[in-house]
Amino acid sequence: MLDRDSLFYRLMLYIIGFLLFCEWLRPLEVISNTDDVRIFFIYATFCFFVSFLQVPWYLSVPLKGLSLAFIIDGLYIGERIFSGDWFSVLYGQILFNIQMIQSQEWWQMTPLFRSLLFLILLWLMSYLLYYWFVVARRMFFFVLLTLIFVTVVDTFTVYDGKWAIVRTFILGMMALGLSSFAKEMEKESISIDGFHKAKVWAVPLLAIILLSSAAAYASPKLSPQWPDPVPYLESAAGGSGPGGSGRTVQKVGYGEDDSRLGGSFIQDDTPVFEAMADGDRYWRIESKDTYTGKGWEDTLEEPVTNMNPADITFETFSDEVEVEEQTAMIMMKRNASFRKLVYPYGITSIKGYPQNYDLLVHENTGEMDTVSAGNGDPARLGSSIISYEFPSFEYNQLREAGADDPQEIQEKYLQLPQQLPGRVQNLAGEIMEGEDNRYDKAKAVESYFSANGFEYSTTEVPVPGENQDYVDQFLFESQIGYCDNFSTSMVVLLRSEGIPARWVKGFTGGERVDTRETFSGDNVQNVYEVTSGNAHSWVEVYFPDIGWVPFEPTQGFTNNADFYTDVDTPENEDETTGTENQQPEDNMGNPQQMEEEEQTSGSTDVRDTNNVNWTWVWITLAVLSAIALGLYFTRFRWMSTLLIYRYRKNKDEKTYEKAYHFLLKLLDHRGIKRQPEQTLRDYAIKVDKHYQSTEMRRLTHNYERVIYRNESQQSQWPEVTELWENLIKKTLS
Amino acid sequence: MTQQTFIYQPKVSDVLKNIRKVMVGKEEAALLSVVALLAKGHVLLEDVPGVGKTMLVKTLAKSLDCNFKRIQFTPDLLPSDVTGVSIYNPKSMEFEFRPGPILGNIVLADEINRTSPKTQSALLEGMEETSITVDGQTVPLGEPFFVMATQNPIEYEGTYPLPEAQLDRFLLKMEMGYPTAKQEMEMLTRTSNSHPIDEISAVLSREELVELQQEVSNVYVDRTVNRYIIDLVTSTREHEGVYLGVSPRGSMALMKAAKAYAFIHDRDYVVPDDVQHMAPYVLSHRMILTSEARFEGKDAKSIIEDLLSSTSIPVKRNNSE
Repeated sequence: MLDRDSLFYRLMLYIIGFLLFCEWLRPLEVISNTDDVRIFFIYATFCFFVSFLQVPWYLSVPLKGLSLAFIIDGLYIGERIFSGDWFSVLYGQILFNIQMIQSQEWWQMTPLFRSLLFLILLWLMSYLLYYWFVVARRMFFFVLLTLIFVTVVDTFTVYDGKWAIVRTFILGMMALGLSSFAKEMEKESISIDGFHKAKVWAVPLLAIILLSSAAAYASPKLSPQWPDPVPYLESAAGGSGPGGSGRTVQKVGYGEDDSRLGGSFIQDDTPVFEAMADGDRYWRIESKDTYTGKGWEDTLEEPVTNMNPADITFETFSDEVEVEEQTAMIMMKRNASFRKLVYPYGITSIKGYPQNYDLLVHENTGEMDTVSAGNGDPARLGSSIISYEFPSFEYNQLREAGADDPQEIQEKYLQLPQQLPGRVQNLAGEIMEGEDNRYDKAKAVESYFSANGFEYSTTEVPVPGENQDYVDQFLFESQIGYCDNFSTSMVVLLRSEGIPARWVKGFTGGERVDTRETFSGDNVQNVYEVTSGNAHSWVEVYFPDIGWVPFEPTQGFTNNADFYTDVDTPENEDETTGTENQQPEDNMGNPQQMEEEEQTSGSTDVRDTNNVNWTWVWITLAVLSAIALGLYFTRFRWMSTLLIYRYRKNKDEKTYEKAYHFLLKLLDHRGIKRQPEQTLRDYAIKVDKHYQSTEMRRLTHNYERVIYRNESQQSQWPEVTELWENLIKKTLS
Repeated sequence: MTQQTFIYQPKVSDVLKNIRKVMVGKEEAALLSVVALLAKGHVLLEDVPGVGKTMLVKTLAKSLDCNFKRIQFTPDLLPSDVTGVSIYNPKSMEFEFRPGPILGNIVLADEINRTSPKTQSALLEGMEETSITVDGQTVPLGEPFFVMATQNPIEYEGTYPLPEAQLDRFLLKMEMGYPTAKQEMEMLTRTSNSHPIDEISAVLSREELVELQQEVSNVYVDRTVNRYIIDLVTSTREHEGVYLGVSPRGSMALMKAAKAYAFIHDRDYVVPDDVQHMAPYVLSHRMILTSEARFEGKDAKSIIEDLLSSTSIPVKRNNSE
């Protein structure tokens, strides 16, 4: 066995196995806070090499142990290696960590100890994999595990496993080809003489692998057929999320820092809060005023007022607007890391606001911080009941509002960056050309996106380059994006035409999950679940004497602010200007009719609902098929147990026949196949030869009497059952 | 197939042992002869002269305590030379029947294809019936009655090949084959001083043989196995290389042979293995190949082998039947 050729094959197999193992190490840097994976790579290589040499244990153990000590020394311990201090540091560390483990305070474990454990794991793996690949030559299971690992890591983390999968595939094919070749050679006891003959099989193997990999790589692939399962499996609320810190993939959610917008999102449906309200409301948090060309910054944070929660004076619209008194109840999720008040338009007061909390309201932006009164630290609000005046904007009032903006508004909300490309301003002019009032102008911009084929997507959204403007890139190049793109663009376009506008952040209404009686018990309200995925941004446009009116430019979302036409107004406007006015006013806030509305509302909402259902369907299907697969692969094991039990109880010829044929099937599954033209006797001889016994012959002779002699074998039953059970056990082992 | 591992029926085993004392390496031929004998069938031996056909029959006859007759077929042999003839006895002034060789228990019909069809049929008819009629006198044949006919496959000059219908009368057709060098050496050693056939004695009486024959007919054949026989025989009729397939008489013969084979192995029921083993000997002379198949170099035996390896064996009871 130790000739040069078999050494070559073992080496090849082992190297491939090692490369596969490396696929397990690669993602570490991305998915954990491991800084230098190279060290582990080097150590793994060393361990694998030593294992392959098959030196006696009294050489290999010290070798691996010493190198482990050197790595730990180099990484963590400042003392001179193997000095007394060195050992005492190590001893102290280990003692400390063991204590931590005993008290189950895992997070207290030090990096040294974790690295030590990981290195030991690598050490053990080198043994295990040597056995697996070289001694047992069982590659398939490891290849499969590696593929599963890569796909799972790719799915659940930001690690991009695209190439890892390709590599694993090629390595796996090579490993399987090699090992099956080697097995075949051994089985047929053909010696492989010389290297030149290796070409005969190695070339076709390589050709097939390359061809299939190339074909697989080049062929078109379906995009994922179900939404990312991550949000459903993750329980932590994603209050923090898009920071725009330069990473290209972020989780969707409410974030603070909007100075660099762009890039793709991973959907995240971790619930943030539940809201009970009369209808689908936008939950406002704050607005931002300064567009930098890359994102938004807030220059108007001051003044901040400590407001009485029972009387909130923050207003976004004037008394001119018709309102309806409503209440809403907000229940923040316990694990939400969110420290700001979400509120509907027209907030007037909060009931049930904790006594020991202060409400700090930023008067310009509308940001309301919930802070602890004692030390001013941000504090999480539990549940609170918000009274608000739900506004309904009248079309004609909006159209006739004019353009006499107060000086203050003009100063604050017409800002544009110096380097904004001219074509953005030109486009703004084009869009609003021919519209004579501010409302129609705003509507023209709002509907511009859907009319011009802009696409809503959270993926494949670019980040603007160093010299690129975020809005310019979206309007003229990518034309694909999510709420930030649409709303920022609308604000910039409006400002270009001298219309004061600001960028607002918050959450959309969420998904209606229930209908419940209100706290006071006099009304029935819808319960909405708002998740990180509902984080949204939209636009507010200033109308003189009226105030800030929300607009919704994002493709697939519907503005749920209420607009109506006053029929008493002498100038009766055409009904087609706005779509919203077709909804009768009473419908708003009527829970019974909300369902319909929900179905006909924005397509995104509908799709979200579908996604939820489908995801569960997929997950259920996946689990079921996993179970089915598991059962299928272990079918002989559990069926044997089942049948042994059953056959013991049932003693008739029918059962005997079934049991015998089950044994045949089992043997077939184990590779000893009976050809249809092979007599049972011949087959039994073959089986007995394989297992070095006479049991199959004895059982078969007995069975023959049943089927060819038409005899009852009741008297033989104990012996037969024993034979059968023995054979089943032998086959399964 | 390892014959040694089989357990033979004790009496049959004695006979086979006896034969083994004389014949070297002709186990299979001996076994098949016993099969035919016990199944009340007859054997057609097709082989060149000098390979031990006569010796086999003689040994068998001697082991069985049966009388042995030999007919050497020649072109001028008359039917009466086979059946016997009535001769006028001047003393008693009566015709006296002088029985022919066919009235023996074990008859060796040597070079059966050398004689005229008329004489051939005298023998073949006797094989079918249990008696012969000579000069208006019905004479019962011996019991047991076992014919072993030989045929020389090499010389065709001046022969009258047996027609298919008559070949059908033989239960089995087999070859002896040359011995291996080792066997031949053994043979020479054994026969250098005296012939071992002179030293053997009968191990089975005629009555016992008849009894065994009776037991063979009592061997159980299940429907499951019959189904296999039918499948096999039917497939010969459908095989593209076969011009004339095996007749229902062939299925019956196969069943009979399988029963005897099972009995020899001390079993009172037939298993598909018996059928498989007997099929080439029972079926091959009962079918005519197409000329295409013959041109391809196929013979009946290879076709039977093909069919055996393509007919699946019933391994479950069919309860619907």
